[in-house]
Amino acid sequence: MWDLLQGPLQRGVLAGRAALSIPTGMAVAASEPPLPPEVMGEALRSEVRRLFRGSLQLRQLSAGSCNGCESELQALFAPFHDLQRYGIDIVASPRHADGLLVTGPVSRQLEEAVRMTDEAVPRPRLVIAVGDCACDGGFCRDSFAVHRGVAEVLPVDVRIPGCPPRPPEILEALLMALGRLAVRAGVARA
Amino acid sequence: MTLESGELFPVDRALRGLRERFGEAVLDADRVSLREQVVVVPSARLAEVVEAVTREWGGTLLTLFGIDERAQAGRYRIHVMCSLAPQDAVLTFVAGVPEHAPRYPSVAARVPAALWLERELADMLGVTPDGHPDPRPLVAHAGWPAATHPLRRDFSPPADWQWAPRFATPQVEGEGVFEIPVGPIHAGIIEPGHFRFASMGESVLQLDVRLGWTWRGLEKSAEGASLSRGLELAERVCGMCALHHALAYCGAIEELAGVQVPPRARAIRVLLAELERLVNHLGDMAGILNDVAWVVGWAECMRLKERLQQANDVLFGHRFLRGTCVPGGVTREVDDTQQLWLRSVLADVRADVVTVQRLALAEPSVVDRLAGAGVLSREVAEDLGATGTAARASGRTLDLRRDHPYALYRELDFAIPTRSAGDVRARFELRGDEIHESLNLIDQLVHRLPGGPLVQHLGELPAGRWGCGLVESARGALTHWLHLAPDGRIADWRVRSASHALWPALAQSVPGNIVPDFPLINKSFNLCYGCCDK
Repeated sequence: MWDLLQGPLQRGVLAGRAALSIPTGMAVAASEPPLPPEVMGEALRSEVRRLFRGSLQLRQLSAGSCNGCESELQALFAPFHDLQRYGIDIVASPRHADGLLVTGPVSRQLEEAVRMTDEAVPRPRLVIAVGDCACDGGFCRDSFAVHRGVAEVLPVDVRIPGCPPRPPEILEALLMALGRLAVRAGVARA
Repeated sequence: MTLESGELFPVDRALRGLRERFGEAVLDADRVSLREQVVVVPSARLAEVVEAVTREWGGTLLTLFGIDERAQAGRYRIHVMCSLAPQDAVLTFVAGVPEHAPRYPSVAARVPAALWLERELADMLGVTPDGHPDPRPLVAHAGWPAATHPLRRDFSPPADWQWAPRFATPQVEGEGVFEIPVGPIHAGIIEPGHFRFASMGESVLQLDVRLGWTWRGLEKSAEGASLSRGLELAERVCGMCALHHALAYCGAIEELAGVQVPPRARAIRVLLAELERLVNHLGDMAGILNDVAWVVGWAECMRLKERLQQANDVLFGHRFLRGTCVPGGVTREVDDTQQLWLRSVLADVRADVVTVQRLALAEPSVVDRLAGAGVLSREVAEDLGATGTAARASGRTLDLRRDHPYALYRELDFAIPTRSAGDVRARFELRGDEIHESLNLIDQLVHRLPGGPLVQHLGELPAGRWGCGLVESARGALTHWLHLAPDGRIADWRVRSASHALWPALAQSVPGNIVPDFPLINKSFNLCYGCCDK
């Protein structure tokens, strides 16, 4: 066990936070992340502390996606991004959730189950559509077998486009969404 | 089949064997490529011919599907593709089923590998396989109106379509027998599927797998679409297997167009394919270790997976390698600096995988859970036409990279590791071995990529032709069959993934295990729902 931990510890990547080092001058195809994940994460932590008393619990709902978005969400809760450290976690039961992370266009075969899952989430709840399909049906929006996005079935609070959105892009969108929540809460108070 | 020399290609020998054995049942034959022979048989004899090829000649049923030819010929056409590995030969049996009597003797009644394929055929085309052992619908839930068959050309979605899924499951009765329904919505970041267990105490007596929840009607969407739209659909059948879907789709187009992909593009395709295999295998190993609560191993494998996906992004602009493979070649160049860098990233991965695997298998709490769980016997794997890692872990030496080489695999050196136990441990260990083979393949390419262009122009496409792409995805054999309409657009597109073949095999490996081991067994196969549902 200890020799497994030693390698990563020595490299400072026990939590996998060390990014790939890319030699200067090498051609890079990737786009720059909006902000370093840690910066966004810390900002997220303070929003979660303010709005959800430090703990935001989300339920993932896969509604006819290709599993690309699911994979990116898994990556967010795994080493490197490790969103739990900022107070956000995925829960197993919709009854424990503050909101839903929905992926996929909502396939019609799954529509009833999607509605039932949503009904089980206590109100008020947040509905976040992750990925192009969830936003507007994406590449398969013209198929009779799917809806044109989550909004046809549930009231959507936040849309995160991308096919699939990269983990830092999801992080940034979550941050923006919580900022919007704060605005809304402010309006309600006033 | 007796093999004699003198015939140039294995497919020629196979055809002679068929003629000797079945005589007048071989109505017509046509060799469509160096490896593929099309054999027309009467639908009444389709089942016995396929049975002989799979049972006696050791062939593997790759796919079975139908297309609607009522307008042109007053019939439906059934295709059955069988691979004759390790010879590079593919037999495609074609049988017509008349429009006025759309039924034929079931292939699945003799060849279990066709079980799900024929259920899907009945849903999609309304052609009935007579004598099918399990004629329940596969994709169509009970709310579908009668005679709703989406892949018929004249289909339009009925107004009274009730999408609320209702379905029957096979019942097990007796004192102390419980039924446990699980899904379609699962507790985790996973795709939807319904599992119905019949259990006695902790032991599972029977498992029925009910999928179709993520069915997006993609094969229908492709009808009349352009080839570039088809590529968009193909890459999005499944996220984790996106690159292999693109490879198979492009393979089908290149075959029907008779185009040779330039050597450099073929080499980069190997690079891409092995990167996708690495990401998948690392994710699968992480999942297995997570389900036995050995979280350190899970974290380490997920960290490596993330590193590779970031490397994918850096080199190819997409974490799932979408947009890299196009008909005729690839879109991305990989220069010498990038190759060297990739090799250094992969060297870390190799060292860390060795450590994780060694420590996991030295941990009694891990091994106790893995060993003996979820055994898929070789016999069941063969009967159900299982391919990929799951089949190799049960002793079947099948790998399309060797059996029907594509890209640059013919020129590269790699082993096909196998195990015989067929349990979760075998599937776990085998993934480790396959990771090393993938790393070796990439090492062989670094600094030795052939020169030349990245894309070969397709030129004028022969209208009305069809082609087939066969690739070995991380989960096993993946086939894309593509048929061009006279106007050069897509007439028919049929996809069969390894997951489609392996779901019934998974269901067979669960009975006899305890209910809490199901998630672990499921993870050790780690099948895609999207790949299967389409």
